[in-house]
Amino acid sequence: MAATVTAVNATLLGGVLGPVALTLVAVVLPAAVAGILPRLLRVGLVVALPLAISVLVVNLFFFPSGASVLFRIGPVTATAEGLAYAIETLVRLVAITGALVLFYLTTPIGSLVVDLERRGVSARVAFVVSASVRTVPAVIERAGQIADAQRARGLDTEGSLWRRVRGLVPLVGPVLLGSIGEVEERAMALEARGFSRPGRRSLLWAPADSDAERIARWLMVLSVPLLVVAGLTGWLA
Amino acid sequence: MTNMESPARAGGSGGLRVAAGVVAFLIATLAGIVAFGQFGDPTVDPNTFARPTAANSFALILAVALLVGAAVTFTLEKIQTGRLESLSRQFTLRVIVLMPFAIAINIVLGQTVAAALKIPIYLDSIGTILVGVLAGPIAGAATGFLANILWSYVIPPPFQYPPAAAFAVVAAIIGIMAGLAGRWGLMRPRTNRSTGQLVIAGVMVGAIIIGLAWLASVGYTLIFQQDINPLPETDNQLFLVLGYVAILLVVAAVLGVFALLFGRRDLTAAYAVVTGVATGIVAALISAPIAAGVFGGVTGAGTDFLVAAFRQAGVDIYAATTGQGLISDPIDKATTFVIVYLIVVAMAVRLKARFPQGERLIEESAPPAGSQEGPG
Amino acid sequence: MLRLEAVSYRYAGAQAPSVVKVSLVLGPGEVVGLVGANEAGKTTTCLVAAGLAPRAMGGDLSGQVTVGGRRLADLPSGEVAAVVGIAFASAQLSGICSTVYEEVAFGPMNLGLPRNEVMARTVRALEAVAIGDLAARDPAHLSGGQRQLVVLAGLLAMEPEHLVLDEPTAHLDPVGTGLVGTAITRLAAGGASILIAEHKTDLLAAICGRVVALDHGRVVLEGAAESMLADPKLERLGVDPPTSVRLRRLAVAAGVDPGRLEVAT
Repeated sequence: MAATVTAVNATLLGGVLGPVALTLVAVVLPAAVAGILPRLLRVGLVVALPLAISVLVVNLFFFPSGASVLFRIGPVTATAEGLAYAIETLVRLVAITGALVLFYLTTPIGSLVVDLERRGVSARVAFVVSASVRTVPAVIERAGQIADAQRARGLDTEGSLWRRVRGLVPLVGPVLLGSIGEVEERAMALEARGFSRPGRRSLLWAPADSDAERIARWLMVLSVPLLVVAGLTGWLA
Repeated sequence: MTNMESPARAGGSGGLRVAAGVVAFLIATLAGIVAFGQFGDPTVDPNTFARPTAANSFALILAVALLVGAAVTFTLEKIQTGRLESLSRQFTLRVIVLMPFAIAINIVLGQTVAAALKIPIYLDSIGTILVGVLAGPIAGAATGFLANILWSYVIPPPFQYPPAAAFAVVAAIIGIMAGLAGRWGLMRPRTNRSTGQLVIAGVMVGAIIIGLAWLASVGYTLIFQQDINPLPETDNQLFLVLGYVAILLVVAAVLGVFALLFGRRDLTAAYAVVTGVATGIVAALISAPIAAGVFGGVTGAGTDFLVAAFRQAGVDIYAATTGQGLISDPIDKATTFVIVYLIVVAMAVRLKARFPQGERLIEESAPPAGSQEGPG
Repeated sequence: MLRLEAVSYRYAGAQAPSVVKVSLVLGPGEVVGLVGANEAGKTTTCLVAAGLAPRAMGGDLSGQVTVGGRRLADLPSGEVAAVVGIAFASAQLSGICSTVYEEVAFGPMNLGLPRNEVMARTVRALEAVAIGDLAARDPAHLSGGQRQLVVLAGLLAMEPEHLVLDEPTAHLDPVGTGLVGTAITRLAAGGASILIAEHKTDLLAAICGRVVALDHGRVVLEGAAESMLADPKLERLGVDPPTSVRLRRLAVAAGVDPGRLEVAT
């Protein structure tokens, strides 16, 4: 919840100052309190760096209406307007990324899903979310097995592009179709465990919720339309 | 829109609900245009001779309005009949089990392409389109939407990709289009067609492929005056392998189209390409204003340099992202549709038949009489 | 009492039925073995007996499947699992549980039972299969045999009247087979009602009271386990006889007097 709101707010706030302040309040402060600030910074860097570089390069050099030239490199020119726009976007980016990473680091997906289910989200939706999160590493692991098989055949560092690609064919095909076959089996297994029974299923546990959290949530939700209105009425120009 | 088959049932007629949905759609469109439309901008993009800025916002508004209309329709259905028949038909247990795999494929491939490959495609919709074709429009939309949301929020780095959530709407629309394509029988195999038909289809597809490839290379040569280097460049061993898998998929798609057309004499390959191009255009139009407005046109993928190229040509940010989208998306979606069709063709008939729209993916003429089927 | 009456079933998209006019009775506390070559219809029979076919997979069913007089087809969705449990060779888990305890509790949770009941059943099931020490482990990291035990526990936690096991040891190494075999034997000795399809006739010889043989989708032989498994006709149907039977035949062929022969299983 906090992550979405922060991200949305960051977009709505124009200028440089807004997002910076927002980042400090909504991201850095909670992270420091939770004791995960260094981890947040490290992970956030990994995630945001490629994006940030792209943003910088594209806007610095290719801003069309830029007039005040800063310097030239070969055929491309850097402009001050481009720099300003780049910084603005970067700050926004930092706010969004920071919020998302904070969310990821502080919320175990299991708790989130159980809580959602407790509040009325159907068991099937909860299943899809949980299973997706677990399937991504499973797919990656299979890809790792493909990598190992490739290395065993000596195809990863030598061989022409064509050979390397062709070597993948007998591996990828069965993996893809095997996944689909597994869908069939898993569906049977779930049916056999009573998963298609209509109605709510009982839950073993649920994360605690406090009044303070509830109030905070409502405040955050309200802040979005407030900012939208403020933006539209030109108050934040 | 998506309730084409709902018969009248106790508690009100489906037709009335669809009408209500359409009304909601129109109202939402009007509201969107009034609040956000930018029809006053007369900029003309020299490459496409269109009015991209106007087209941009309009497409996005339409997309959101479509979802609003659908939401209204389903809410009414829930209120009137107490259940959601048209939805639950698409979300059978098998579909529920397929979705996590589809979402995982979306995320893994999409992240690989964004991180390791420098070619202007995404390959993050294979799962969405597969579910759409097999299960239906809403299931496809849900898959795409969830995949993007999870991609941003929940998946751990190095596979996390913050910008994805903003494009969840686009993914949903792609899912809907794929579902409709399946529902309308566009992905049904059509083998043993006459040579004439196949040749026409082959020429058309060939022209499309060449046209798209030329457009893509234009982007490269505009800035760098050097040839495309599509090979994956990254230190991460895992991304390297996945990168090759992505290339393999693209190559397989291209080869697959022609193999299908002339090997199996299967006309649907051409249908897949055309559907993909159409979906790509729609996706581009919807995602361009998002990319421009929220991210300044840059999403960290291999497509950014295309945006840069357009900007250098002097167009504004909205036109640049539209231009980039119109180049990247049709290629990407056409490839994806072909890959999905190849998967569908490879699936055993009895596996397909158990999916909600599986019947529409089986050839019309009965297969030759075979011995008993089924597992031992 | 699980009863199949003249059941024929054709998969969706198939041309011909996979089983034809199969009749089978599984009484309370009985353990019945199902043998036959691959593609003979064993899995299909299991799916039909467990109510998964045609409910969860389409296709056409003729004949009746009843449990305690009630037709399986008439039971509401999801209730079938509480009556007949089925496990497959692939030891498929739910996919979303991070501990064995949750995995076993998955079934009762789906049945909507009150929390205390869920926990009580989970503990009982873990004990019945003797995997209490695995309760905190991640099921995805277990060996094949252990996973199958977790699946069995998960089924038992729903306390069905009957269990259907489709080649439960097929993908397991000898250690895993031993683990699962022991667990099933314990269940059978405890009075569970089990229909088990298997190639490993040694296991069947140890636990089954009756054996039914299938060929091309039809029942061709049935009778008491001991006489069935020693029947030479079985080999023609593609079924390997149990070790004890083979030993006996070898001994007789070598000239040992069968009357003075005792082969321990």
